[in-house]
Amino acid sequence: MTFKQQKMASYLILIIPGLLLFASVIVFPIFYSFSLSFTTWSGYGKSLFVGFENYRNILTDPVFLHALRNNMLIVAISVFGQIPLGFLLAYMLHRKMVKGGEFYQTMIFLPITISPVVVALLWNQIFSSSGMITALIRRFSGNSQYVMKIFEDKSLAIVPILFVLLWMHTGTYMIIYLANLQKITPSVLEAAQIDGATEAQMLGRIILPSMIGTIATTAIFAIAGSLKAFDLIFAMTGGGPAHFTEVIALYMYTNTFKYYKYGFGSAASILIVALSVGLILILQGTSKRIERKYE
Amino acid sequence: MRTNRLLLTVFVSLLLFPSLIFSAGTKETAQSSKKDEVIELSVYHFLDQTDKTTAPNFAFLVGEFEKKNPNIKLNFEYGYGESFHDKLQTLAVSGQLPDILLLYPGKRTSQVSDAGLVKDLRPWIKGHESEFADMAMQGQGKNGEIWELPEDISITSIMYTNNRLLKELGLTLPKGLDELIAQGPAIRAKGLIPLSIANKDAWPMQSCLAGMLVERTGGMQWFDKAIAGKGAGFADPQFVAAMDIIKQLSDKQMFSPGTNQLAYGQGLDDFVNEKAVYLIDGGWMVNNMIGELTDEQKTYMSLESFPDVPNQKGKSLSASATAGQGFGMNAKLNEAQSEAAWKWIWFYSGPEGSTIRQRFGRLPAYKLAEPADADPMIKKLIAFAGKVPMGYVMDAVLGAEPIGAFNINLQRMMFGTMTAKQVAQDLETMVNKIDRGNK
Repeated sequence: MTFKQQKMASYLILIIPGLLLFASVIVFPIFYSFSLSFTTWSGYGKSLFVGFENYRNILTDPVFLHALRNNMLIVAISVFGQIPLGFLLAYMLHRKMVKGGEFYQTMIFLPITISPVVVALLWNQIFSSSGMITALIRRFSGNSQYVMKIFEDKSLAIVPILFVLLWMHTGTYMIIYLANLQKITPSVLEAAQIDGATEAQMLGRIILPSMIGTIATTAIFAIAGSLKAFDLIFAMTGGGPAHFTEVIALYMYTNTFKYYKYGFGSAASILIVALSVGLILILQGTSKRIERKYE
Repeated sequence: MRTNRLLLTVFVSLLLFPSLIFSAGTKETAQSSKKDEVIELSVYHFLDQTDKTTAPNFAFLVGEFEKKNPNIKLNFEYGYGESFHDKLQTLAVSGQLPDILLLYPGKRTSQVSDAGLVKDLRPWIKGHESEFADMAMQGQGKNGEIWELPEDISITSIMYTNNRLLKELGLTLPKGLDELIAQGPAIRAKGLIPLSIANKDAWPMQSCLAGMLVERTGGMQWFDKAIAGKGAGFADPQFVAAMDIIKQLSDKQMFSPGTNQLAYGQGLDDFVNEKAVYLIDGGWMVNNMIGELTDEQKTYMSLESFPDVPNQKGKSLSASATAGQGFGMNAKLNEAQSEAAWKWIWFYSGPEGSTIRQRFGRLPAYKLAEPADADPMIKKLIAFAGKVPMGYVMDAVLGAEPIGAFNINLQRMMFGTMTAKQVAQDLETMVNKIDRGNK
């Protein structure tokens, strides 16, 4: 065996186990799901090939379109809410703009350490029509029939969930930004300060440009996480009432496991993947353009 | 090289030796003492393990069984709510169905039973048919198979009534729908809820109210025809009339405020805390009431039927009911395992288990004499079951997808985004396409 062949053999020995594992748990399920998405498989027996019918039915289903709209709102609150807020909080803590920074850091990060199911139960105790807010309003208004109508409004029912998501995940981004802010050499900031740079100038000219890569990465996490959002919403509202808080992952779950439409559910999951990839590609393009601007 | 080979041989031999000993030992034991052999069976059950009433009750039943059958070891796994069904489906699809599993007589678990994954219990039941309520012995499969031995008769639409509050408000049990609706303002004026029902999960309105109302407005003959799609359908005026009643009750603020946001269980909470005059729920709630209600409360709480509705074609005082769930067994079990599984199934749904469950507040499908020392609420449930005519529970006779959509449409109707006619038409379209197979 020549040296080149030995090298190739050792590469293969090292790569193949990992590759096989990756293929069996990631690649195979995706391709299998993709092939199922063109069938009417119900979990048992023969499946019927139906071409793009599942995709056509999903994309014309008002429930799916409303779920998509809700997912887009979650993406929006993640990218334009959690990330800026997380950055702002990290910046304030890093620049020691508040006293007792460690306490705030712990408090802001705390929600992410709690199970989403517990978070859902907790906020349900506050928001639901048998919850704390309703009970207080009923007591002080004397109206025993009072109900928070926001939860029964098709357009607004998702808002409390968006609020909880903002509360829950901002801490994660804050910690990531805080860690990356600490990587910026203090002497650079000190030099800028000596040169007479204002706080805003330091933020805009030094800190933000050096954080663009991190912000882009967290945005990818936010988008991917938002499109597959399930646990908190499932435990908090189950997509209800009347599908008002439905998201695509719940839509997929209901059709697959409650109605035994595995083909249909697979098509919905492929759409989630396609949407995630599409949005992430757009984001990567945008972040590259911004990076080039600062180069 | 030779030393390496020798070391390798010794290493492999050492590795294999314990397993050889182990397997040989197991076989010998199995052959020598077949009579004392302990049969282990896996059981998948629907149970909320955090429920302070049902969980200990079930544990007691299992304990009693184990005392009598030391040679049978049951390994339980539990699921609750939708996750029970999700897991059951996953186990079935992956070919890992447990030896004994809880099944439903209607459409709820028909994907498992219709696929031939469970045994037909008729050979074991033979000779015992008359010991059960007729409803429990109705065929569950296409050829009359019985996949599970029903534990209870499930009455799903009882109007639990707080007679103390009723008296305090100067009201009497309503005879008709109009009279019930007329009581609303007086009840609400006292800060109370007229009809306590928690519909966040969307099924209670269908299971505990809609099915019963459909029987009232259409009658059983019409209901049968509509299910089959022969000469009747769910878009008929009879069905629309039932939907209209729900809409009317919602518009007149008869239900719990924010009913579609209230988690199941809240309805019971409001009733036992005497914040509601009536509770619309199933007979299974008696199980919880035994522990939740005080002895004094039990004297003035009664089980009633929903009042008559205008243009009623069904029977007065009728309620919706179905044979309850019960245990079935995996089709793959061998003879000895099947016999052991049947011992548990018969213990649970037969005379012994039924006697225990009756004491806990259930209404067993196995015919039993009313126990003299039973809790007052159980006595009331038995009396109620004996006097009311029974209709269908919709989710027991219609498929999962039409019912899932119908449940949500009922919520939409209450929010005013769908009319009663649209709800009816939508159900008819789905039943026709999915259940009746008319694409």
